[in-house]
Amino acid sequence: MSFLFINNNQKLRMKKSSTTCRRMEWLKHQLRQHFTKKMLQPFIMILLLHACFVNVFAQSKTITGMVRNDKGEPMPAVSVTLKGSRAATSANSDGRFSIDVPNGKGTLVFTYVGFAAKEISINNKTVIDVQLETEEARKLDEVVVVGYGTTKKATLTGAVSVVKGKEVLQSPATNVSNSLVGRLPGLVATQPSGEPGYDGSTIRIRGVNTTGNNDALVVVDGIPGRSLERIDPNSIESITILKDASAAIYGAQAANGVILITTKRGKTGKPEITLNTNYGYNQPTVLPKMADAPTYATMMNEIALYNGSPALYTDDDIKKYKDGSDPWGHPNTDWFKATLKPRSSQYATNVSLSGGNESTRYFVSIGYKHQDGNYYHSGTFYNQPDFRSNLDARISKYISVGFDLAGRLEDRNYPTRGAGDIFRMVQRGKPNLPAYWPNGLPGPDIEYGNNPVVISTDATGYNKDKYYALNSNLKLNIIIPWVKGLSITGNAGIDKGFDFIKLWQTPWYLYTWDGTSYDANNQPVLVKGKRGFDAPQLTETFKTDQQVVLNALINYEHTFGQDHAIKVLVGSEKREGKGENFNAFRQYYVSPSIDQLFAGGSLGKDNNGSAYINERLNYFGRVNYSYKEKYLAEFVWRYDGSYIFPEDHRFGFFPGVSLGWRVSEENFWKNNVTIIDNFKLRASWGQTGNDRIAEWQYLSTYAYGSFFDDPSANPPVYWYIPFVTNGSTENQTLYETRIPNPNATWELATQRNIGFEATLLRNKLSVEFDYFDYLRSKILAKKNASVPLSTGLILPLENIGKVSNKGFEFVVSYKDRVGDFNYQVSVNGSYARNKILFWDEAPGRPEYQRSTGKSIPTDPINNPDNNLYYQAIGVFEDQAAVDKYAHWSGARAGDIIFKDANGDGVIDGNDRVRNDKTNIPRFVGGLSINLQYKGFDLSVLMQGATGAVNYISTESGEIGDYLQSFAKDRWTPDHTKANTPRTFNRTNEYYVSQRNTFWLRKTDYLRLKTFQVGYSIPPKAIHKTGIQNIRIYISGFNVFTYSPDYKDFDPEASGGDGHSYPLQKVLTAGLSLTF
Amino acid sequence: MYMKRIIYFTVVVFVIVQTTSCSKNSLNVSPTDQFSDASVWKDASLIQTFVNNIYDGIPMGFSNIMMASYSDESMYNADFGTSNVTKSLITPSDLSLFDSKYWTSNRTRQMNWEWGYKFIRAANVFFSKIESAPVDDAVKKEYKGEVHFLRAFLYHNLVSVYGGVPIITKAYTLEDSFAVPRNTYADCIDFITSECDSAALLLPLTQSTADLGRATKGAALALKSRVLLYAASDFYNDASWASGYGHPELISYVGGDRVARWQAAKDAAKAVIDLGAYSLYQPSPASAADAQKNYGDIFLQTGTSEDIFLKYFTIKFNWNWDGYNPGLYNQPNGYHCWGSNTPLGQLVDAYEMSDGTKFDWTNPTQAANPYLNRDPRFYASILYEGAQWRQRPADISPSDPQGIIQTAFWEKWNGTTSSMDVIAGLDTRKSPFENWNGTYSGYYLKKFIDPTIDAQNFKQTQPWRHIRYSEILLNYAEACIALNQEAEAKTYINMIRTRAYMPDITESGQALVDRYRHERQIEMAYEDQRFFDVRRWLIADKAYTDAMGVEPRYKMDPTTHITATTPTYTVIDIQERAWNPRFYLLPISLDEINRNNKLIQNPLY
Repeated sequence: MSFLFINNNQKLRMKKSSTTCRRMEWLKHQLRQHFTKKMLQPFIMILLLHACFVNVFAQSKTITGMVRNDKGEPMPAVSVTLKGSRAATSANSDGRFSIDVPNGKGTLVFTYVGFAAKEISINNKTVIDVQLETEEARKLDEVVVVGYGTTKKATLTGAVSVVKGKEVLQSPATNVSNSLVGRLPGLVATQPSGEPGYDGSTIRIRGVNTTGNNDALVVVDGIPGRSLERIDPNSIESITILKDASAAIYGAQAANGVILITTKRGKTGKPEITLNTNYGYNQPTVLPKMADAPTYATMMNEIALYNGSPALYTDDDIKKYKDGSDPWGHPNTDWFKATLKPRSSQYATNVSLSGGNESTRYFVSIGYKHQDGNYYHSGTFYNQPDFRSNLDARISKYISVGFDLAGRLEDRNYPTRGAGDIFRMVQRGKPNLPAYWPNGLPGPDIEYGNNPVVISTDATGYNKDKYYALNSNLKLNIIIPWVKGLSITGNAGIDKGFDFIKLWQTPWYLYTWDGTSYDANNQPVLVKGKRGFDAPQLTETFKTDQQVVLNALINYEHTFGQDHAIKVLVGSEKREGKGENFNAFRQYYVSPSIDQLFAGGSLGKDNNGSAYINERLNYFGRVNYSYKEKYLAEFVWRYDGSYIFPEDHRFGFFPGVSLGWRVSEENFWKNNVTIIDNFKLRASWGQTGNDRIAEWQYLSTYAYGSFFDDPSANPPVYWYIPFVTNGSTENQTLYETRIPNPNATWELATQRNIGFEATLLRNKLSVEFDYFDYLRSKILAKKNASVPLSTGLILPLENIGKVSNKGFEFVVSYKDRVGDFNYQVSVNGSYARNKILFWDEAPGRPEYQRSTGKSIPTDPINNPDNNLYYQAIGVFEDQAAVDKYAHWSGARAGDIIFKDANGDGVIDGNDRVRNDKTNIPRFVGGLSINLQYKGFDLSVLMQGATGAVNYISTESGEIGDYLQSFAKDRWTPDHTKANTPRTFNRTNEYYVSQRNTFWLRKTDYLRLKTFQVGYSIPPKAIHKTGIQNIRIYISGFNVFTYSPDYKDFDPEASGGDGHSYPLQKVLTAGLSLTF
Repeated sequence: MYMKRIIYFTVVVFVIVQTTSCSKNSLNVSPTDQFSDASVWKDASLIQTFVNNIYDGIPMGFSNIMMASYSDESMYNADFGTSNVTKSLITPSDLSLFDSKYWTSNRTRQMNWEWGYKFIRAANVFFSKIESAPVDDAVKKEYKGEVHFLRAFLYHNLVSVYGGVPIITKAYTLEDSFAVPRNTYADCIDFITSECDSAALLLPLTQSTADLGRATKGAALALKSRVLLYAASDFYNDASWASGYGHPELISYVGGDRVARWQAAKDAAKAVIDLGAYSLYQPSPASAADAQKNYGDIFLQTGTSEDIFLKYFTIKFNWNWDGYNPGLYNQPNGYHCWGSNTPLGQLVDAYEMSDGTKFDWTNPTQAANPYLNRDPRFYASILYEGAQWRQRPADISPSDPQGIIQTAFWEKWNGTTSSMDVIAGLDTRKSPFENWNGTYSGYYLKKFIDPTIDAQNFKQTQPWRHIRYSEILLNYAEACIALNQEAEAKTYINMIRTRAYMPDITESGQALVDRYRHERQIEMAYEDQRFFDVRRWLIADKAYTDAMGVEPRYKMDPTTHITATTPTYTVIDIQERAWNPRFYLLPISLDEINRNNKLIQNPLY
């Protein structure tokens, strides 16, 4: 959209200068024709000077020519400018133009809306005829970034999707991983949390393929393992995802697809400064509605009733909760409102400078982002200053060097209690207790001092995490002059990260009223209580990580005869990562005024530290062959070595083949099919490896700690359970981490893809479709479903699993203009469905519980049986109903009826049925609309998904509040025809502790993911300021959501317990300026 | 010029190629945070740390939910699923708090099959490696002794909840076949006692100061005493509760000489006594007050003469949230603590009067003043309305400067409104302070709790006593009673009673059995005995009845509007409980049976 807009704007700008110039050119032409006499020359010159001062100082040369469109027809009104100067004109009604060029040197730029700009070097020519291509047609010539290189879109044979940086910029989300869903067919995402600094999406390319790690490989400017989330969207040129065998060149870790990010580089021309700044606010997309105080008190009385104990609250209490007549003794608190402000600010600013000449080019950018937390007086906020400098230099005709340096500070700030604690307490907050007392002092404790209105602020100290990332890359490209088409490239990328975490925990204060004490003024007496810690304590952590990537590539390109184009790439790459960390701890600070280690007490001081190292080595290559750009073939391979595997199984060979046929290039097509301009069929087959498994599976090792530690959990869990002797001596404990699997080797992905691309109606309509059939085998999984626990074995991963994943994707887009009105509509969708073909399963399990043949469970490693559910088929209306049907032992009226799935008359574990759906949607789609009218532009992305489920599990009961959606239709002795069971107390009731379908909800949704409305100030109004372009805009993210079956939480959020930081809706207003 | 540069840069690129290609060996990376098999089994110190880990397999009793709350000793006030246990609702599909992955309850989770066998494997790995380890024989002997003891204890823990379990002594590799049947109960007992014997032979009588906390000969013999006493008990010699069960040999002895079993139990206890290494702490107090202090002190000291096998802690000990913090877990909400395992009326009422007679609510004198003249151990174990406890935290102190437990309600006349207000005590479920942590029963736990520590912020470090000498004396007495050696039995029971400043018992026959059982209930309260005792004595049906508590109320005279200075007590029913005989044993989980088709489920599941 904004791409269009800039073009148009340029056009407007050129029009202004060229209208006068065009008249001048015409005059000049006439003069030349009719007044060739020398005497008239000075007069003419003065006229020219007066009218068109820009051109006249140098000895200029006139260039003329003709502009034609793709059909060869003359094109009027095409702007013609001399690059880097203000000389400009436009073609007349016959498509002819004439322009004066100083020294007769430079490059002419031809632009017209809907057509691709074309640059032609003058090279002392005086007549230049050009033919412009429509942008759609041009797309075929567009270069797409693929593994270790680029290729023309027309000759692409793999399943690859691209999004431009400009489209990413339409979203005001600061975390790039949140801006991609709905943009790129084949990309599916869920978002675990919206917390500033930790708000990244979990991205899945073509869904879920393995029971192991499903993360895609992220490659930024050729270097794997860099951050997708924290890169400044202003510096992104394009994002490419490789979905099929085309990823095979990335071998290890590429099995789940590859996300390639290319940053902007300088272009030849005068320096251009771009400022982009926006300011706005964020707020939770969805907050659950909780039961209010009278409802909650009533429900507590129901619990007492069901337990046979006396009611806690009298009718009078409940009346007071309802009418608010006693705010001290009978409050009615909305904890979400008390803790979360209606909106929090966020802003982002970026300034970039780019330009260059024949020998050096540069793109330099600096930016700053800020996101405030949702809490009042929030202790949570995120800041990120960042910069990037991409330099290119041509040392000689044959040698060029690129040097990139990017850095950022990820400045995360949190209260000392995490978002999990805070939101857990907000959700649990009892509506009949005060968050604040009526006099404004914070209310009493809930547990561990966790009153959310206090622990969300800096009253508890702070947790500051400053992560400095520095990415550098030196690239050297040499064209070997002796062999035409041969070049070699060397690349050295060094990424370094430093992390300083300072956790300063101080006591805080909460206020309690005993309900009976009043002071002399008859005001309740509040007692101030110290909570959390008795004295401050400090933990400082320092971590460093480093990744070095070295690669060398040999490229050879040659066209034999007229028709046989061949491209060969061979390379090797080494990747080494290592890191260290240590931390120090002190407590018993006498005063909270100095937050440094030295000031702490020496009793109980502590420290710890560790390190890691990893190594990978690969050889890879690619051969492309094309016959007349009609028949296309590509072969890629990778020979991959990873430290993850034992020496004998360390290297894996992964090949891929893809073929393309541009049917529309055939004569029979050209002669017969006119409606379809381009049509390409393509197919691919490939294999990639995956080494993303826990380290050292092949080694027999022992670690300090205990069996109760869980290093494979996310995040890993470590306790301190020393073996203590003599009452106080702490001795280390050592445990066997696993039994080794000496045969551990690569997980293997076999990927088949078939698809077509077409453009129709003079390239206005484009269609793309892909079908894929993936098979993942040798998946590293544990046999813990069949190996009895009596063995005591901590099992290693073994190459046993097999999963198939099939699906399709499509994109249809239409682009046209009516007068000044330009529009583009694009629909994309992707469907993926996986099926476990084999993995470890308990042999005694009935068919309907087996996971083999069904989708990979949401948490296949740790909780494969979380997808087993009792089938909730209603609520027992009364005791008679209970007696009539098989039931859980202890079931009573008001409980959920579990279906006797196996019909044996007993409700037990065998009545659980496996559900085939997970929290990853099967179908994800997007509809994007871009409109532009004169200075106005509008872009909209609607996005939706279906086929996912989420499990609701709030902590409710004596411990905390209920969802209003539960409370409103619950079974009570007076309301027995209910669809919702009776009031439960935490997990004490079987229908809460046993996973069942009552709590399982579809998350199908449709949402206005992003929109942007912009207005560009007419260039006329600003041309004197030296500013080329001013645009103001408003943009929004997650603005509106429709999810009929899932209303209490955000449908894209991964969890249904309400304990995680909610996802964010963002609205911003912005300004962009180009000088 | 060009040529020179090209050559120069080409060399640079080839250097990169060289570094990236000729370094296959660089992939031989070793872990930086783990030890290799080879480095462990040649290093005596590392082997010791490996043995240290196995000690973690013996669950300690100080988790937030104590074993007491699974029987008639206490009630876990936040429930957390404990009511499913006390209603006997455990099934093979839902092990609830006995599930190895249950979200809380470390104590019971660790009794699960999964954890037991994980540590048993560690012991088996040790035995498979130790013989060839190049370390001193003396060291080897010591370590082997410890691991024999630990393996015995681990199997004892499994057998005491499951009955016979598969006896696995090999360290499996991936190639082995894993399906194994359960061994008979008798096999298991034989195996465990032989492990105890091996340990006793190898272990020293006492550990050096630095090694206190490691197993000793006494610990091995004491464990054997417990195992044999259990084995001789009713439950393991009478499977009639599971009539119709096809495999009684898995859950009990089938036939054989029960007298010999009692004799073995007696001998085993006697062997510990005869070591002469242990004695009762402060065996002859001068007064009831002394006795109360002495009994309380047993649990507040790092070590006493009674200790046979214990687990130490430090303040840094950090397991999950219910790992170790008895003060925080059990003190009242009016101390900003959690009031977790609140004593039941049943336990409180079981404490005798100081003259050795039974307490009785129907006795009006006793009912009016129930906490007067009770067994000194009562005052050392239970906090009740009006009991002096420690200074309250700063913010609560103004409401009660003296630190007196308030589980009562006060009826007070309100002159302003001309009506009666009911003021809730600070430690009740209507307290202004975290009342959801308040007691239902009207009592709190005092035993084990260090009164010098402000538990809301600080941890105590008192050890958990797995086995102490009193238990051995009681074990000995129990066996003697069964062998009809009543006089001998009474001598030993009365040693315990004397230390408690309680009069001797003189009964015989069934009355003696009852007094003995009662003595064990009181002396070993909250020490993880009762859960097993009520099962092996086949009296669980009487233990899993509705939980009782008391509500003290300072009543107001409706005419004078004067509030009484002493409370009136009402006995209340606080929680429904139920007994199902299948809960004598835990079920083997459905998943495990699915994995191993040779397993036979326990009766009635």
